[in-house]
Amino acid sequence: MQESLNQAKVFEMGTVVPANNITEDDFTVVSLNGKENEKIDTPKYSYWGSVAKKFLFSKITIFMLILMLVILLMSFIQPFFSGYSLSNVGNINDFKARYNWPSAKYWFGTDANGNSLFDAIWAGARTSISIGVIASLITEIIGVIIGSIWGVSKKVDRIMLEIYNVISNVPSLLIIIVLSYSFGNGFWNLIFAMTCTSWIGTAYFMRVQVMIMREREYNVASKTLGTPMRRIIIRNILPYLTSVIVTDISMALPSFISYEVFLSFLGVGLSQNVPSLGRLISQYSPYMTTYPYLFWLPVLVLALITISLYIIGQRLADASDPRTHM
Amino acid sequence: MNDENILEVKNLNVSFRVRGSEIEAIHDISLNLKKHETLAIVGESGSGKSVLTKAFTGMLEQNGRISHGTIDYKGTRLSDLRVNKQWDKIRGKEIATIFQDPMTSLDPIHTIGSQISEVVVKHQKKTKKEAKKIAIDLMEKTGIPNAVKRYNEYPFEYSGGMRQRIVIAIALACRPEVLICDEPTTALDVTIQAQILDLIKELQEEYKFTIIFITHDLGVVASIADRIAVMYSGRIIEIGTCEEIFYDSRHPYTWNLLSSLPQLARKGEELKSIPGTPPSLYKKIVGDAFAPRNQYAMSVDFKAEPPMFKVTDTHYAKTWLLDKRAPKIQKPEVIQNLHQHMLEMTAEN
Amino acid sequence: MNNSDRETLLSIKDLEITFGSGNSKFVAVQDVNFDIFKGEIFSLVGESGSGKTTIGRAVLGINPTSNGQIIFEGKQINGKISSKEKFETERKIQMIFQDPSASLNERATIDYIISEGLYNYKLFKSEEERVNKVKEMLEAVGLLPEQLYRYPHEFSGGQRQRIGIARALIMNPDLVVADEPISALDMSIRAQVLNLLKKFQREQGITFLFVAHDLSVVRYISDRIAVIRAGRILELAETEELFKNPIHPYTKSLLSAIPIPDPRIAKSRKNIVYDPSIHDYSTKKPKFIEIKPGHFVYCNETEAEEYKRDLK
Repeated sequence: MQESLNQAKVFEMGTVVPANNITEDDFTVVSLNGKENEKIDTPKYSYWGSVAKKFLFSKITIFMLILMLVILLMSFIQPFFSGYSLSNVGNINDFKARYNWPSAKYWFGTDANGNSLFDAIWAGARTSISIGVIASLITEIIGVIIGSIWGVSKKVDRIMLEIYNVISNVPSLLIIIVLSYSFGNGFWNLIFAMTCTSWIGTAYFMRVQVMIMREREYNVASKTLGTPMRRIIIRNILPYLTSVIVTDISMALPSFISYEVFLSFLGVGLSQNVPSLGRLISQYSPYMTTYPYLFWLPVLVLALITISLYIIGQRLADASDPRTHM
Repeated sequence: MNDENILEVKNLNVSFRVRGSEIEAIHDISLNLKKHETLAIVGESGSGKSVLTKAFTGMLEQNGRISHGTIDYKGTRLSDLRVNKQWDKIRGKEIATIFQDPMTSLDPIHTIGSQISEVVVKHQKKTKKEAKKIAIDLMEKTGIPNAVKRYNEYPFEYSGGMRQRIVIAIALACRPEVLICDEPTTALDVTIQAQILDLIKELQEEYKFTIIFITHDLGVVASIADRIAVMYSGRIIEIGTCEEIFYDSRHPYTWNLLSSLPQLARKGEELKSIPGTPPSLYKKIVGDAFAPRNQYAMSVDFKAEPPMFKVTDTHYAKTWLLDKRAPKIQKPEVIQNLHQHMLEMTAEN
Repeated sequence: MNNSDRETLLSIKDLEITFGSGNSKFVAVQDVNFDIFKGEIFSLVGESGSGKTTIGRAVLGINPTSNGQIIFEGKQINGKISSKEKFETERKIQMIFQDPSASLNERATIDYIISEGLYNYKLFKSEEERVNKVKEMLEAVGLLPEQLYRYPHEFSGGQRQRIGIARALIMNPDLVVADEPISALDMSIRAQVLNLLKKFQREQGITFLFVAHDLSVVRYISDRIAVIRAGRILELAETEELFKNPIHPYTKSLLSAIPIPDPRIAKSRKNIVYDPSIHDYSTKKPKFIEIKPGHFVYCNETEAEEYKRDLK
């Protein structure tokens, strides 16, 4: 190797370069295969394949993914077996069942009514996660659709900006509380109250993104090919925004879950018989010093849910940005 | 080190670590830069021409390194310099670079004048007042009309061509020995390009610096270069005096570059084109890097890397066509009598 | 050739394009007049900011015009026209963009990108016919049919530009506006693209409006050339006539700036710098005057007399 690198070895033009593996026959002109030059050597690219590869590359992501799966399985399957009900006070007179610290029998201990906290937490988590997921989906779907139209139509833009200016100047929590009070408590009422105005933030965000994208050269190219605006949005613009939409969802999810917690703490939102993490935290907050497990364990589970959802969302958003696929 | 030479490069390899694998961007390059000459380095994007000159100023990206060979500049072994402090004595002061986009070298929030004077104060040890005089003088020398007034303007008030003149003025304020021009005219309009090329030539007469002129356009360098090195895929495949490259080139790639210049094409004739695209750096090169696109490729080109052949004392080419066993191949017709051809073409207008 | 015998495909009359309004109003293009004949390659050459791209985009209907007419196949296509008419002309006038990486949808396969126009105008009867059309087109631009389902970033710059050409030409257009289609490409690739455009002109009789900043490129490719500066066309002539007898001082300066790939000539050549202040238009206003048949120059009568005298 070293030998071939040494360029001090320069040959006079028209001499025979001594080399074992080269013979006279090698000096015949070979015809050029034109098509060969156009071949692409790299393996075929698939967008979602590359997203998955990039996403699963990190150990932290895999850990968070497993954690989230465990939490999801527990929240959506465990309540069927435990049959936990918030209004069940069957054990209230069983003194042995009350205020048990976490043990082999009661993993997370029991409360004043003798109910197992372990059962209570998963039943509550199911509600909280459902609220978060449903509210985020509604927000994103409405927000993305309206935001896309908002971003390309001047007429819509004029009207929507006025609406946006009014709504965005009122604190969203205030809107949710007022709406909850006026519609009464209940699962779907709460979701309605949460998503009634939340989409407008997403829509505004999408408007800005679409406005940045729509003047890009490749969209001008589509226009000259006669592509209607609707298809430009669906085929050209939204695919580029996958990563920002996923980021937006990953931030919306934890924030809706914490809204529920906060509202339940205030005593509005869900009906009295529906368990949720928010209700557990508010119900057990007086025990913070006496029976700290009753307060801290629901808080811990809440934290694990929001953190894992947030981190997974962020990683997915990063992975869905093709610039990271290199 | 030879006295005539200001810069000597021996068997240089530069490699980059990309996604866990080592990629060779410069392969076995040896090159001497003579005092006061203008050496043009011509190559396409990815040929390594910019990487090579970045190695001269210690500006290789974080993941890049000199993996083999040496660079010597006036008794200093540049390839051994590691820390920025050592490079500070060379960079700008001894070897200055002008880039394609002048805004990379200009600070948008300071006036043009203050940016030049600052350099003068730092490098020529002058007072602020003297520096301003020198700066205005430099602006006039680089062809800025109304220099006194424009001294206090900001970069955004200058046109692209004027900004490039300022970048040249800043580079000259350090009195460098070597001026690396990295595609300084590529982003400019043709008329401005011609003016900047004239300016660089005039300034070289006056300040006697040595120029390395990097470009992808062989057509541009005929007026400015003393010698030309043609690069392909990290290798110098042909090097010679300006006339040798234009009138007597030996490498098929150089032939192709020349004959595909639209200036040479006559109306109604098919323009010579090179099939395919330059090789990706990720692909390991066996034999001659240009072989897959070369219409004169021989079987040997796919087997073994050609050595450098000496054509004259100043002219070298890296192609198996110069081996004794190779068939006699005529270069494309358009460039066989290039001078005659161009005389006819230019006489017409 | 007598130009009056030729069929005019596109006619631009007193075109004016302005951007902004009020104090920040900026006139990008003014008093532009030219015809493009069927089957020719017409080049519009000027430096950055000359308005050449703006004119190209106005022809495509991307830039609104403020005055004048753009007449295509006998019908006006600028200003207020019905969306049905607009849609119809959109198919007939296609564009090739300067930057092949910015002008392709990175999230779509080559199959979709090239078929995009076919879908919009339903230019196929069956799915099979569409795929065949796309494959034929790929081969016509020198790419491989097997690359149908790859994405733009997997291709090199030159290949990408050919994809851009394929999607425009599959529409079977009458006029193609090529906006500096080679200036973002490497030298070795440029010839491929130029030859390809020439091939389509020759074989399918497609008319091109070729926008460029460099006269050396257009000499080889174009039939007629218009030189534009600061929004005005200064000179218009057949290609060889323009190179042999450049009249306007700005054209002379552009010609002198073409890099000459010959050291002996290049090193002795003088670069002509154009100074717009040499024109005295204070008393006699300039117009677009035909100095020689088919050779137009923007000048006033005094200058026209001088130019005519110099020609003799």
